[in-house]
This record gives sequence, structure tokens and C-alpha cells, in this order.
Amino acid sequence: MKRYLLIVLLFVVGCAAWVKVGGLYKSKPHNFSVELPSGWMRLNTRDRLYITRDGVLLQNIMIERLNIEKPLEHTKKKFSKDMLPQEVAEVVLDNISADQTVLNFEVVENIPARISGFPGFKVVFTYKNKDGLKLKSISYGFVTNEWFYGIRYTAAHRYYFDKDLKTFERVFESFKLIKIA
Amino acid sequence: MRYTALTLLSCLILAGCATTQLAPVTTGDFIFEDDEKRLWLRAEEEQDVLNNSGLIYEDEELDVYLKEIAKKIQPPEVFEHIPFEIKVIESPYLNAFAFPTGVIYLHTGILARMDNEAQLATLLAHEMIHSTHRHAVKQFRNIKNMTAFLATVQVTIGTLGVYGDIASLLGTIGTLGAVTGYSRKHETEADMEGLKRIVEAGYDPAEAPKLFMHLKEELEEEKRKEPFFFGTHPRLKERIQNCETFLETEYRGQRGGIKNSETFLKKIDKLILDNACLDLKLGRFKIAERGAAKYLSIGGNDPKAYCLLGEICRQRDEEGDREKAEEYYQRAISLDPVYPDAHKGMGLIYYKENKTILAKKSLQTYLSLSPQASDRAYIEEYIRNCGEGEKQ
Repeated sequence: MKRYLLIVLLFVVGCAAWVKVGGLYKSKPHNFSVELPSGWMRLNTRDRLYITRDGVLLQNIMIERLNIEKPLEHTKKKFSKDMLPQEVAEVVLDNISADQTVLNFEVVENIPARISGFPGFKVVFTYKNKDGLKLKSISYGFVTNEWFYGIRYTAAHRYYFDKDLKTFERVFESFKLIKIA
Repeated sequence: MRYTALTLLSCLILAGCATTQLAPVTTGDFIFEDDEKRLWLRAEEEQDVLNNSGLIYEDEELDVYLKEIAKKIQPPEVFEHIPFEIKVIESPYLNAFAFPTGVIYLHTGILARMDNEAQLATLLAHEMIHSTHRHAVKQFRNIKNMTAFLATVQVTIGTLGVYGDIASLLGTIGTLGAVTGYSRKHETEADMEGLKRIVEAGYDPAEAPKLFMHLKEELEEEKRKEPFFFGTHPRLKERIQNCETFLETEYRGQRGGIKNSETFLKKIDKLILDNACLDLKLGRFKIAERGAAKYLSIGGNDPKAYCLLGEICRQRDEEGDREKAEEYYQRAISLDPVYPDAHKGMGLIYYKENKTILAKKSLQTYLSLSPQASDRAYIEEYIRNCGEGEKQ
């Protein structure tokens, strides 16, 4: 049974295609809208949206919506409704730093932030991947009702990070929830 | 063309015939073979990746101690062939593995669970036997179809989930030692020969099965499959049984020997606390709690450990946890009134309970004791919010 499921999954993943983007993007199932930069490529997975211009391994912007009950990949900690933004940030950082393929992990900045009017966090961190490439990320996030929303920009520390930082800031500024409960 | 085909055929035949009957380096007729040299070079490359990963746990005193134990287990002439080196990896998962070069990596998680030096010696002796008995090269010679082997490794890593993380850092040789494990025959040999080594070194062999028992209990509690050190090795239960049978037959009636509990625990007490912090990051609250308690039982009162217990309870936030967290933070403050993190913990509890005056006071104390706190911006925001509607 598991084998058939794996085959079906492989087909689905195989069919998921990168599409060119630009302009307003609305995801009703994920309850958010965002302005995407022209000429970038987009890929949707169940919980996440990725956009990239130079290739996901070099630079990408990822927007995610996760149910707070959903187990995270690397930590058993979970988000909860009554968490302070600092506590939400801690869960996100623990989940990233517990991934043992994330090497030389360092938090550069961890501060409160407003995301689409919601109290949340902004963290900046650097790390190396297993091939020794140093990457830098800016991650925003917040919890509202049953959902964690995250917006993250990751790029190679040298050259690529600065190149698209302004684009990311515009994407971040345009992020809005469609329905506010 | 014909000559090329013939040469290729000869190579294939030779490769197929390469013997797996290699004498251990402990015997006089040891010859360092060509394919083994290549394997060592590759292993060194893999070690470099690990050593520069930022995952190596830095504690010079502990490193010296581990090397001393290794020297008790194997005689100096073995060190001439294999310059054993013990390194510790910052990872709370239960694992240990050896490269053929004699570099042995122990996870902080497995060290933190041990009770004494005899148990540590059991683990080191096991890993050292993999190197002295040249299990890596034997295993590689046994693998006729390397592609199939690599595919198997990839599938294994894929099913390991979070445990596969470290495997993806390692190359084929590291993965063999750390993830897939050696063949059952080689693992059993490492267990049995390892036991002989620790008995000769004067350690209490009765501690060997206890190490496995401890680990088995914890794995059962975590409801996990046996990962890594036990992954494809003989199942843990079977291993304990083998170990006990061996002790009953080969060392019948022999009890006692070096345990060195006190020395061992003193050497690893800081590691136990650091490892408990790693378990907390992973959200393994119960294990983290046990680690902090173990640290306290060794070193006595330490505000850092009480504060960690407070953090565990505050973050777990189950019924009764807030009260427990408050008790731990207060204990830390009573031991060291200028320990900043305990004040922060208290402040966050008060803040969430809307006890704004108390929250403000604790959070201000935290900032005054730790002016460079990395979370200063959050704390200042809480203090501002407390000022808006003061209660209690």
C-alpha cells in the first residue's frame, strides 16, 4: 500500500510545475494575497509557495501557512495560539537549528515585527549548507487562530542576498490575509 | 580493443576475488592494502566535512579524558597503525560511529545517558574494533554492486526522517558506520571483541549490558524504532542477550572491575546540561528534564540547571507546569539573585498571566542584569505594554 502511495506521490510531484509569475497572487485556500515580482518562477506545494529568479538553491522567497497542530520537521515543539511572538520565533529557530544539515547556524537579529497588522517576529540568520555554501535568511512569522504564517527570503550570502533584498521587502510589504477571523 | 576488454575483465575478476579475510591490525601480519588506503583518504575527506560543520562539541578536558580511556582499551602498538581520535558531536540523538581511520564520533546524547566509565569503555571498545578489525574495507569488498549499495543507503536515509539529517552530511563511509551499520556478523564481532578488550583493561563487564538496557528503555519511552547505533545492528534485545550469554560463558563468575562513576560524571557534567538544552530545542521535554535533573544530582545546586528546568516547564506549558516553572526560577534566583535568565522566565510567566506590575519588575531586572540581551527588543515591548494597563 505504502509503495503505491509513494508512486502516486512521485507522479504528483513530477507534475508540479514551475510557472512564471508577476503581479497580484491570491491563494484563497491559504487565505493570503501577495504581489509577486515579474519574471520570477513559482512553485506551489501543499503548505508552501516558493518563488525564485536564479534557482531555489541560490535564492528563493517562501511563503507558508501551517496548521499549529501540524508536527514540525525537526523539533517536537508546536506552535500555540497564546504564544508570544518571541516564543513563536523560538519554535521556528529551534526547528531550523535542529536540522543537522543546517551547519554553522547563527542568529544575527531577532526582533518583534508587524506582519500585515499582526504582531509577529523578524529573524535574520546565517548558516552553511552541507556543500559549504553560506546562506542568509530573513524570516517573518506570526500565529493567528489555528495558523502559523511565515514569509522567508533565503539567498547565498555573497552577491545574491543583497541583489534581491529590496524585491523581498516589496513582497513582504504586500502580504495580506484575505479573511481575518 | 581486445586488450582493453581483457584488462577490464581481469580487473573485474581481481576485484571480485579481493579477499574479505583480512587480519586485524592487532596481529603481526598486517598489511595496509591499496584499496584500504583509498578508503582512508575518502574517510578523511568525510571527516573534514564533519569537523568543519560547527557540530563538534568543544571541551578540551573531555577530549583528553576520552583519549585516556581509548589508550586503556588498546595497546600502544595498535595506535601506531590506527591513531585513534575521539570527537564529540553536538547531537542529542543516541549514536556513535567510527571511521576506518580510527576517528570515532560520539554524540552528546549517548554520552549523557551513560552512568560510568565502564559503559563508555564498552562503547569505545565496540567502535575501535570496527577500525582494528577493518570492517569498513571488508564490507566494501563484499559489496559487488556499489550502485545497489548506494541506492540502499539512500532509501535507508529517506526512511530515517530527522535521523537522516546527519546521514546526508556524511559520505558513504560515514553512513556505513553511522546509519546503516556494519553487517550483523561485524557488529557481533565488535560487541564480543570489545567486551574482551574492556575486561583486559580492567573494567567491569557487567556494565556492558546495562548501557544497552538504558538505551533500550529510553527508546521504548520515546516510542521510536531503534535508530543508528542499533539500526541494522543485531536488535538491541538480542544484543543484550548475546552480551549476557558471553559474560556467563567466557567470564563466568567474574564480577567487579573498574566503573569510575564519579570521575566519569564529573568529566561529563557540563555536557549533560548542554545536551539537555539540545533536547529542549528538539521539544523532547521529558528527556531534557531528566538531563537537567541528572546534572543537578552530580554537581549540586546550580542556578543554570534550575533555570533550564523552569524553561522546560514554561515551554511545555501543560497542566501544573507554570507553577513548577515558577518554583524552579525562584530556586535559581535564590541561589544566584543576579542570574538574568531566571528573572526573564518569571517576567514572561507574569506577563502572560497579565500580572503587569510583577512582569514589569522582573523584566526590568532581567534587562538591567543583561543589558546586551539579544531579545532586548521583545522585552522592551513587553515592558511598554505593561505600562499601559498596570495590574498587581
